[in-house]
This record gives sequence, structure tokens and C-alpha cells, in this order.
Amino acid sequence: MIVAEQKPLAEIKGIVAPYQRLLVLGCGTCTKTCFAGGEDEVATLASALRLAFKKDGKTIKVQELTVERQCEDEFIKQAAPLVGGIDAVLSLACGAGVQMVASRFRKIPVLPGLNTTFIGVLEKQGLFIEKCLGCGNCVLDDFAGVCPTTRCSKKLFNGPCGGSKNGKCEVNPETECAWQLIIDRAKEFGQLDKLKAYSPPRDWRTSHAGGPRKLVREDHIV
Amino acid sequence: MTLPHTKRFRPRITVFHCLNASAEPALESSADYEVKAVNMPCSSIIREVFLLRAFEAGADAVALLVCPEGQCHNVNGNIRAARRVARMKRMIDEIGLDGRRLNIYNIPPGNKLAIQHAIRQTVHDATALGPNPAA
Repeated sequence: MIVAEQKPLAEIKGIVAPYQRLLVLGCGTCTKTCFAGGEDEVATLASALRLAFKKDGKTIKVQELTVERQCEDEFIKQAAPLVGGIDAVLSLACGAGVQMVASRFRKIPVLPGLNTTFIGVLEKQGLFIEKCLGCGNCVLDDFAGVCPTTRCSKKLFNGPCGGSKNGKCEVNPETECAWQLIIDRAKEFGQLDKLKAYSPPRDWRTSHAGGPRKLVREDHIV
Repeated sequence: MTLPHTKRFRPRITVFHCLNASAEPALESSADYEVKAVNMPCSSIIREVFLLRAFEAGADAVALLVCPEGQCHNVNGNIRAARRVARMKRMIDEIGLDGRRLNIYNIPPGNKLAIQHAIRQTVHDATALGPNPAA
């Protein structure tokens, strides 16, 4: 899932201050799962904003709606009946969702309520960890299912740096050494020899370079 | 010259109350304060938005009465409630209303004295902090 974090209330308050009528628009998929932008978070933030502005002697009308996800127009258009009566949308989706809503409702400002952080997983209750950088060239099969691009602080592809201590990374001792994990898992599968294969310098053109990436599936275009 | 009559501040408090902590809360308004009671089958049912909406509805202070740690009928309900209260205290501070307006109290089952103490403390806090500036 995409993991995001709600912006501090003071920052959100500053962002929405110019507007009197606001729609707080939640997302029922990724940001709900990481407790940043689902129905509960929409309701709480809307209430907090009303209280904060009222305390300052100002009135702000805040409406609330959560759609299944904001990265698809099919769901975003559910907000259309509300958009006519508001001055701005405060989106609690990831950056992709905010921009999708902005494309849909071109005549009103669409504001971000979250900081989108990473592609990750729920490791255990309350803990979300980054697992994937979206590099566009997945080689997890070469590394026993542990990604050196994302999980090695130095992005090393040809073995450990030698600086780890008790399985923890020397760059950040709170992080597990990715190469320790790779080696341990490869050993379990009997695939340690695979790690001897040389990985050439990576072609980063499939990654975050040269503008927004695109995927076209013509088989889905009718 | 006749001075205008000064209206005495009569705090309005909202009490979210776990029915397992006590089935018969002694929660009645008095001349000194107004109390609204919201019963819950378990404190775990509390949502953060309920706490904020109590302040939106005009509460000067909000209290949660929950079972003592280790005695929740639903295992961890009171601990979840405590986490949510802690988070909302910080939120209420950020809003500028003062997080001391929101508190949680562990009530041994059937202990009416503990309930009365919690109410008295909540009223005291509300009186000290003054009316809810966002009411």
C-alpha cells in the first residue's frame, strides 16, 4: 500500500485558511489502511478544523465524504454533487489521488492534507515499513525476496558493505541489514551460490527519472 | 450605578461511560454543573471524533470512565480508549482548547466513590480552564 501521514493540524489550518466552505475528501483504500485518510480520519479532522476556526472567531463550513479510492475517476465523481457548494477540497489521499481529484474538478483548488511517504506494508500492529521504491525493474528473484534497492541503506547489489553489527545497518542501527536478510533467506533455500552472480550497474532509466512514468495496456482499451 | 449581573460559569461536562465499569452511574446535573452521559458497552467503542464532537456540542470538559487496566471485559478495550484519549489530548492542545479538558479515569467496577471523584475532578478542571472557547 501507499503509506502516508497526516500533515500537522497547524499546517492544514494554514492551507485551508483562505476558504470558507471546505470538503474534506477521504480515501477508502491505502490511506485508510494506514490511518491517515479514511472515514474516521476525515471525521476527526473536520471536527478539529471546525473547533480550531471557531476558537479563532471564524466560521468554516466543513463537509465530509470518503470515496473508495481517489485514484480512479469512477469513484471521485461521487463528490461531484458537493463540489458546486464549496470553495476548496482538502484531499486525504496520496499525491496521486490529490492530483486526480484536481484534474476532475478543475475549477476549485484541491489541497493536500497528507504527506505521501512510501510504498510499504503493515509489518506488525501500528508499524508500517517501506518495502518498495517502485524502481521499475524488479530483481527480487535474484535476492531471495529482499530488495537491496529499498532496504539496503547504500543500495548495494553485490554483497554487504561489512559495516553491519548484529544484523543491524551501520547507517541506521534501527534498520535490519538487508544483506543479512538476503543471505539468511538464500541459505534457507539453498541458493547462496546465486549471490555470487555479478549484478552490473543498474539502469535507472526505469526509475524516478525523466518525468512521470506511464504504463499503457492496449488490451484494456476498447 | 447598577453593575450588570455577572452570570456564574456553570461548566458543561460530557461523560463517556463504560457500562462494565458501573451499570448505574450517579451522573446527574447539579446547580454547579451540567452533565451529559453517554453510555458505552465498552470503552473500546470510543472514537476520536466522538470526543471532538462533544466539544463541538458545547462541552467545557470531557471525561471517559473505563475499567481498570487488566479488567476490561473485552481484553484491551480500555487500553485502546486510553491511546485515543492521549492522541486527542494532543489534538485539543493543537486546536488551542487545552488538552486538560479531556481526561480518562479507571473506575473499579461498582465503585461509586471513584465515579464521584472523577466527576468532581472534571468539574474542577473545567472551572479552572473556563468556558470552552470554541463553544
